[in-house]
Amino acid sequence: MSKSLLIICRQAPWSGPGAREALDIALAGGAFDLPIALLFLDDGVFQLQTAQHAVAVQQKDLTANLQALPLFGVDALYASTRSLDERGLSGQPLSLPVQALDDTALTVLIAQHDQVITL
Amino acid sequence: MATLHMLSHSPFSDSRLVSCLRLLGPGDGVLLTGDATYAMQPDTAQWQALSLMPESISLFALEEDLHARHLALPPRVKALDYPGFVECCTAFAKVNTWL
Repeated sequence: MSKSLLIICRQAPWSGPGAREALDIALAGGAFDLPIALLFLDDGVFQLQTAQHAVAVQQKDLTANLQALPLFGVDALYASTRSLDERGLSGQPLSLPVQALDDTALTVLIAQHDQVITL
Repeated sequence: MATLHMLSHSPFSDSRLVSCLRLLGPGDGVLLTGDATYAMQPDTAQWQALSLMPESISLFALEEDLHARHLALPPRVKALDYPGFVECCTAFAKVNTWL
């Protein structure tokens, strides 16, 4: 039985390589059929915003990579309710079907996984 | 499965500590290294938040980073040298490094 991995992604898509690297880990793990879950926390929830325009800041669009997650078998997608609320994103359409969890549920989520990476 | 949360960024310029404290479960630990040790600065909201954590949460700090910053070790926090650091990591089911 492979060890389960929770990736906590807490960076906005444009703040540096962190967001992309976290996604790359998730996709690579998914390709090898590892049990992977992805949690969007803090500024990481900004990755879920729809209709972003990466070209405007000479960057590559992460949305395509995000859409690839289910194709790579990464279906366990979560976001922090608090982070969404704080950033005015609750109730907004998001680019991925994430399950919003409160802090207590997030504590349980972390406890349930064998390994955790926060980027 | 208890988690050791490892922080290395200053809590005065960054939200990692606040987010981490919200997600702690019973038996979890927090290890402060690098600029994260500034969280132990007395009379700050950051230290107050840390010190108000339930007793079941253990707090650790890397000794050399404390020394370097001339920070006093609060009674609640256990100072670790490098062998202690490694031992501490192995005492928890997993380590979550807030990179």
